[in-house]
Amino acid sequence: MDFANLASQLNAGTILPEGIVIITLMAVLIVDLILGRTSSRWIGYLAIAGLLAAIVALCFKWDAINPIAFSGSFNGDDLSIVFRGIIALSAVVTILMSIRYIEQSGTALAEFIAILLTATLGGMFLSGASELVMIFISLETLSISSYLLTGYTKRDPRSNEAALKYLLIGASSTAVFLYGVSLLYGLSGGQTELGAIANGIAQANVGQSLGLVIALVFVIAGIGFKISAAPFHQWTPDVYEGAPTPVIAFLSVGSKAAGFALAIRLLTTAFPLVAEEWRFVFTALAVLSMILGNVVALAQTSMKRMLAYSSIAQAGFVMIGLIAGTDAGYASMIFYLLVYLFMNLCGFTCVILFSLRTGTDQITEYSGLYQKDPLLTLALSLSLLSLGGIPPLAGFFGKIYLFWAGWQAGLYWLVLLGLVTSVVSIYYYIRVVKMMVVKEPQEMSDVVKNYPEIRWNLPGFRPLQVGLIVTLIATTLAGILSNPLFTLANNSVTHTAILQTAAVVSNQVSVIPAEKPEGL
Amino acid sequence: MLSVLIWIPILSAIIIGFLPGKVVPASRVRLVSLTIAGIVLLWNLFILLKFDISNPGMQFREYLPWNETLGLSYQLGVDGLSILMLILNSLLTWIAIYSSDKDTHRPRLFYSLILLISGGVAGAFLAENLLLFFLFYELELIPFYLLISIWGGEKRAYAGIKFLIYTAVSGALILATFLGMVFLTGSTSFAFDAVSTQTLSAGLQFILLVGIILGFGIKIPLVPFHTWLPDAYVEASAPIAILLGGVLAKLGTYGLLRFGMGMFPEAWSVVAPTLAIWGAISAIYGAVIAIAQKDIKRMVAYSSIGHMGYVLLASASSTALALVGAVSQMFSHGLILAILFHLVGIVEAKVGTRELDKLNGLMSPIRGLPLISALLVLSGMASAGIPGLTGFIAEFIVFQGSFSVFPLPTLLCVASSGLTAVYFVILLNRTCFGKLDNLAYYPKVVWAEKIPALVLASLIIFLGIQPNWLVRWSENTTTAMIATIPPIEKTIVSQVALKQ
Repeated sequence: MDFANLASQLNAGTILPEGIVIITLMAVLIVDLILGRTSSRWIGYLAIAGLLAAIVALCFKWDAINPIAFSGSFNGDDLSIVFRGIIALSAVVTILMSIRYIEQSGTALAEFIAILLTATLGGMFLSGASELVMIFISLETLSISSYLLTGYTKRDPRSNEAALKYLLIGASSTAVFLYGVSLLYGLSGGQTELGAIANGIAQANVGQSLGLVIALVFVIAGIGFKISAAPFHQWTPDVYEGAPTPVIAFLSVGSKAAGFALAIRLLTTAFPLVAEEWRFVFTALAVLSMILGNVVALAQTSMKRMLAYSSIAQAGFVMIGLIAGTDAGYASMIFYLLVYLFMNLCGFTCVILFSLRTGTDQITEYSGLYQKDPLLTLALSLSLLSLGGIPPLAGFFGKIYLFWAGWQAGLYWLVLLGLVTSVVSIYYYIRVVKMMVVKEPQEMSDVVKNYPEIRWNLPGFRPLQVGLIVTLIATTLAGILSNPLFTLANNSVTHTAILQTAAVVSNQVSVIPAEKPEGL
Repeated sequence: MLSVLIWIPILSAIIIGFLPGKVVPASRVRLVSLTIAGIVLLWNLFILLKFDISNPGMQFREYLPWNETLGLSYQLGVDGLSILMLILNSLLTWIAIYSSDKDTHRPRLFYSLILLISGGVAGAFLAENLLLFFLFYELELIPFYLLISIWGGEKRAYAGIKFLIYTAVSGALILATFLGMVFLTGSTSFAFDAVSTQTLSAGLQFILLVGIILGFGIKIPLVPFHTWLPDAYVEASAPIAILLGGVLAKLGTYGLLRFGMGMFPEAWSVVAPTLAIWGAISAIYGAVIAIAQKDIKRMVAYSSIGHMGYVLLASASSTALALVGAVSQMFSHGLILAILFHLVGIVEAKVGTRELDKLNGLMSPIRGLPLISALLVLSGMASAGIPGLTGFIAEFIVFQGSFSVFPLPTLLCVASSGLTAVYFVILLNRTCFGKLDNLAYYPKVVWAEKIPALVLASLIIFLGIQPNWLVRWSENTTTAMIATIPPIEKTIVSQVALKQ
């Protein structure tokens, strides 16, 4: 193999965005080592600049002629680009939030950012990984960084507990995932590349065998953990409550997007033979997540816990697109994840801002806030209403597209359940709005009575404000001006080879069992 | 041209809501929003002038592509079914703003929410795209919730959340049906004319139609789904109650006519007998419950349920005459309910109570509220269907048009019309007549407070004497709508009706 051939096999330019993130990560670490604490004033902006550069680099990779890199272990197709963009963007906003939050907790900012960038890196690689080892390594990079981030405020016992819980559940679910993956390796006759696995399984004629089903279930257990689908959701409320809020913001968007990226790629490429089965399993997960997430969120008193259950529920909505399995279905997932980024991060920014000023995040403590902090009230109200799917906000269009795609794919009951649980969700989202807007001045909580004067010029508040306003504007307008985002989501699906071939294969699959019943 | 009706209120709502006090000081907010509502009303009247009565289709159409993937386009148009509703909306918005308290607390939010609702309702009546309609329909949800639960009465929190949930459920049902209609017919766009349900099997049409009826039935409201209404109407302050009853309820009946009858003409004739009986039951129920009430606002609220029952009866009978009656009834009910709520609001503000047992002798010329009581008598009469007032015209057309198709339900509705007279006589007797307490000393009603009632009262009288101005707008459109209902099905309807 001569060098030119090797270079074209490697095609290392595909991971340029990740390369930029790695360089930024190193820069952040080294600068911190050399300059120490004094650098914390600008190191956040360095990381943001790096991430934005990575996003720009992603734009240049759009519609790449040869997206396959590293001899097939990384696929830089448009689908991966969209997900990598979502993960990088969520990291940007998370850093904007965390500059003040981490400073206030008395821990080092640079270390935090370094771990966060590692998690981002893991997530970005996961979005494009198309080989079992690569998938597992990037998944572990993401997970291990997430455990560290969860327990980052180490003097807080709740943060410790959350980290322990997350670690124990996370490690065991990755072990289960690993077992499923190793089964795939065995079943396919020693293939690790996803496309080759599908071929290997088809050739070995073990389609729809018990082994494949077990592998599928084990893999889904790992994915379900990442996207916090019920019944793999138990870590979510506790971790969300204990972990530092910016970390939660990242986990709820970045980590979840990575999980969905993995789900799409792995399930459509490696499991075309059991497409019916994984659709069925995900239907069950979606039903459980929508019901449990929305119903249990009704009874929460802590804002972060409420948002935890809400994120379980939102995962249920997104799964409708995955189950639909059509172009519109995948596109609606991507569109929803995009707008989910804006609305959830806007909501979490408000939660951080409120807890920075008052030191609490109980829902009842928000009462009467409109008088003291109108901007926060407006932003939190709009982001929560958008999560509830109220027009003309971004979440409304996201949900409409999901439901429309679901309906087109014939998932009537799922869509109806989604509609019903949306109504339930409006109730608990509006409860917070009611606390903030409806309560009279005399019903103001003690915390709000002593609300500090709003000053944006304190260190670290300016980036929070920028993050808040940008996400707020995006939440408000991304629905009305949704055409570019829709085009982006649709193109990323139609330009992606794996989704197009998978659609063909899964159509053929329905014929195969009829011809070869003895294969069962 | 039509966009003005939507966007002037919505944009000014945003401006009023967000701009700091220097541009629109809090003390001026009411004046500014009144001016805006006035401009919109004038523009609406201008459209009415330009409206071509002989054209049964959509007029002043506007089209902008919006979101191709979803099949959502910005498509507006007005026809005989919606023109009166638009006028009602802008008129009542103006009156609601005018009749609101001069020193409402948090005026900025209050008036911007009202304007937002006004723009949203106009959008819903104008939309020619199912998703666009739904978007505007759901836009009302949060503003009304806030208006009820911030500026409402004692139990406003309960009433607000109840309203919210019922309306959200109604929205979910409607969305599910819309998605179903468009998907099952294989259309790629949600535009009205792109969706034709004729190709569907009778069973599917029936299921979808039931979805429409239940969804809009909550909003109208029909009897088992009406329980949000008394709470919401009673706990809302007078201007909000005017908007709720006058405008929002019409959105329900409009939706039923436009999407139920207009899009499922065949299935409509199958469910029509049930609907007619349902309407009659609603009417009777509303009237009977109203008789039992001790609170005048509650009485008026239940009267609204009764009157909406007539609209249902008329739409079920689907004769050309009955449909004209339905539209007229929607319009006159809007006027009558608005004046009633306005007067009740004044009585409550001046006397301090709404209890029938405590009110007395308001007719007393010196110490009472003579003009208000007189207007109350007039509007009570209008509501009960006394000739010479617009309520009679509308009800009479409804009954006349429905009798040939559904004789029994029509008779029941006539009976409930009689019962309406009963509870209004009770109401008037207990409030306006009798002897005033010696301790009573009510503040004067200034002229400015009487203006909305006088405007509405003169409209009610004028349309009662000159009913042509009420019915001419919708005649051609409704005739065209009836024509889509196949004649064979019509005979089935009458056969079914005869069997009963």
